[in-house]
Amino acid sequence: MPLIRQLLHNKKALVGLTILTLIVLIAIFAPLLTEYSPVRRVGRPHQPPSWEHWLGTTRLGHDVFSRLIHGARVSLAVGFGAGLLITVIGTILGIIAGYKGGWIDEVINFFTNMVLVIPNLPLLLVLAAFIGQASPLVIAIILGLTSWAWGVRVTRSETLSIRQRDYVKSAEMLGEPSWRIMAFEIFPNLISIVGINFIGSVIFAVIAEATLEFLGLGDPNTVSWGIMLYNAQNASALSVGAWWDLLSPCLALALLGLSLALINFAIDEIANPRLRTGGMLNRWTRLVHAGEGKL
Amino acid sequence: MAFLLRRLAFYLAAFLAAATINFFLPRIMPGDPIQIMFASAGSELSLENLNALKLTFGFIDAPLHEQYFSYLKSVFTGDLGRSIKYFPLPVTELLGRALVWTLGLVGIATLLSFTLGTFMGVMAAWRRGTRFDSIVSLSAIFSSSVPAVVISLIVLFVFGYTLRWFPNGYAADPMLDPGFTWDYIRSVLYHGTLPLLTLVIALSGGFAVTMRNNMINLLGEDYIVMGRAKGLSDKNVMLWYAARNALLPTVSSLAIAIGTILSGSLIIEVVFNYPGLGNTLYQAILARDYPVIQGQLLIMTAAMLVSNFVVDLSYVLLDPRLKKA
Amino acid sequence: MTNPVLSVRNLVIDYIGAETDFHAVKGVSFDIQPGELFGLAGESGCGKSTIAFAVSRLHRPPALIRKGSEILVDGRDVLTLDDDALRAFRWREVAMVFQSAMNSLNPVLTIEEQFYDVLRTHTQTTREAARARAAELLKLVDISPDRLSAYPHQCSGGMRQRIVIAICLALNPKLLIMDEPTTALDVVVQREILQRIDTLRKQLGFAVLFITHDLSLMVQVSDRIGIMLEGHLVEVNDAQTIYHSPQHDYTKRLWASMPKLHGAQIVREATS
Repeated sequence: MPLIRQLLHNKKALVGLTILTLIVLIAIFAPLLTEYSPVRRVGRPHQPPSWEHWLGTTRLGHDVFSRLIHGARVSLAVGFGAGLLITVIGTILGIIAGYKGGWIDEVINFFTNMVLVIPNLPLLLVLAAFIGQASPLVIAIILGLTSWAWGVRVTRSETLSIRQRDYVKSAEMLGEPSWRIMAFEIFPNLISIVGINFIGSVIFAVIAEATLEFLGLGDPNTVSWGIMLYNAQNASALSVGAWWDLLSPCLALALLGLSLALINFAIDEIANPRLRTGGMLNRWTRLVHAGEGKL
Repeated sequence: MAFLLRRLAFYLAAFLAAATINFFLPRIMPGDPIQIMFASAGSELSLENLNALKLTFGFIDAPLHEQYFSYLKSVFTGDLGRSIKYFPLPVTELLGRALVWTLGLVGIATLLSFTLGTFMGVMAAWRRGTRFDSIVSLSAIFSSSVPAVVISLIVLFVFGYTLRWFPNGYAADPMLDPGFTWDYIRSVLYHGTLPLLTLVIALSGGFAVTMRNNMINLLGEDYIVMGRAKGLSDKNVMLWYAARNALLPTVSSLAIAIGTILSGSLIIEVVFNYPGLGNTLYQAILARDYPVIQGQLLIMTAAMLVSNFVVDLSYVLLDPRLKKA
Repeated sequence: MTNPVLSVRNLVIDYIGAETDFHAVKGVSFDIQPGELFGLAGESGCGKSTIAFAVSRLHRPPALIRKGSEILVDGRDVLTLDDDALRAFRWREVAMVFQSAMNSLNPVLTIEEQFYDVLRTHTQTTREAARARAAELLKLVDISPDRLSAYPHQCSGGMRQRIVIAICLALNPKLLIMDEPTTALDVVVQREILQRIDTLRKQLGFAVLFITHDLSLMVQVSDRIGIMLEGHLVEVNDAQTIYHSPQHDYTKRLWASMPKLHGAQIVREATS
């Protein structure tokens, strides 16, 4: 696919993909990378990083490194699972609204705008609070069901412009059923928008999961980055000087978010050539400095 | 005018939707909704008080739709029930007190980061491809991807615990009496610096890249080329031709960003132990104080709708095409 | 013969790519005499608009005017001007009407402000004086001065284009460049605007560089015509000469492809 080939030529995308691949590999092979169980007491409380415990221990004597690499599995699973759900709902509703028009569009558009003005985190907090200690799966499902509105908005407006193109018109003339037009004429032209929506949703889901858990709405027995933050905060890790307990999941979350955002910006640059600042500008500047010409 | 009225009607519908969610949520959970809502009170609540609370939340001996209207009546008359943790403090009073701090924090942070970010975006677009442009892009990537909780914990660690430049919590020195005294105001500013700094770090990059991209999309427009052809100074063209027009889509993206800003401030308040909505809510979550948790959804939704309306108003002021001829 | 208003000498313009360049203008030379209406024709992408932008040096990266090019306006090489001199030169000596009538006025400024900013930049003027001058200029294009407080969206497309022309005349330029100025307008408005330009040109004495792909229109209004093909200026001559006896193959093919409605009429005149 040309999008993927272009991504491999983009510096931002390469850096992002490398970090992401690394995190995924670490998550997959977590049990092989550490001798410690993430849920057993394996040392004295709040030991600083050492050769035995690379990232120190928690207040309960758990190994931070082990919890971190096992927790990566939860962050990735919730992020990609909820991200996929958000994207599927957003894309389907967006294409239907944009292509069908009429009252269908008005209904979808109305609900989309409504969801957009109800603040997302407070809504999630209410939902999670009533559910009680939410497992990562439950968190992923509520994220998926509440956060599709932005995707609908961008997909819809792009569909509106694609609907006017000749190949859609000619497919209509040939009497193709509308589901075929939406699936085979419109969807393939939305790939970059869907990609941006998907990766943006993954970032959002990773952040939201960590946030909900940090606020005490998660299941405290989960091994995840959000629960690590929650436990460290409850153990007053910073005020007792156990910075490793708190900063390790912080940096892991930042790294995962950054890698995804780099990929997203790269897709945006490829999809919108106007935003690119590529090699031609460097060459142009060199030529001007060499006195080869001017504006 | 018609535009603004339409927006108002829409906001009313959105507020109604938030209230509807509140109404149905305890009722669709498995188990007794009354038991769920007020369980954390244990046996401390007298029967009389419990009945008053039940009435507020529409738990009356009547069909569902009457329960619904009873609840809506409470909401629209400003009765959000009482906090169970701080019984008998009304939810509106508890949240209202906290809201002042949150609005102050969010208002100033939004103003600062919008101004800073927009300015950075204008410069980046005008000096496309320079090092400044790359820095703006990187800061946008950073602020769109690093969670507010992470930024605030790192800011707290560096400036609060390691360098000890700023206090680690509270909105003001608890030893001082609140009031319009210089000492108190200075203390408020001193305590507010880190939360504010965190919000500005988290938000500026996003505004910058929105403005940058809007500007770049406009730079090819004929009226901008005509501005340059007229011999106007670069500054004049950049501000009055390019930036002034690019501001329109940027302002409308601000409306969507407000939700993110409010959410971010909730987290930051928890981390910095700042007495705003976020912290109040955090305490309520820990105590499973449902009337407060439900109340914050309504208050936050209302705050969001009011800010959206302010954005609509400023949009009308900024875009002559929306004004009546 | 008098000195030309515009003298383009060996103009070469490239669009710089990451690896290879696109050669948009390949060594073009031509002159425009004072008061003359010079037409530049060719298919889209042949480089005619690129030349128009170069005269006021409005290009942005990655466009590059190669060294060795000369653009003389009234004998002075525009390509040697520094930033300040360039800003002073723009609009005072060369004004320009852009392709899209709907889009060349700033949507958030009133008409008056768009007169005022150019007058204030180039002359010592007060708001009142600028307003009076703007009203006078609008009168030249038959627009009532009460339009000054309007925003562009409150004016029709044809009216906007006449306003742009009025702004062009604010500083009595020597040369007016019109880059496909009528593409977005309907035929009646097109004719009306070109007739207006012709009258004003004779009245005020400026020269016009008129760029279009509408050949029949060009043959009717121009004194001389240049034909462009893929970055080269292949033929320049008097409008009547080039129409009746085109030398270059491409010109002949262009004439052959002209819409019959206009073409037939002119050909009949020519053969009779």
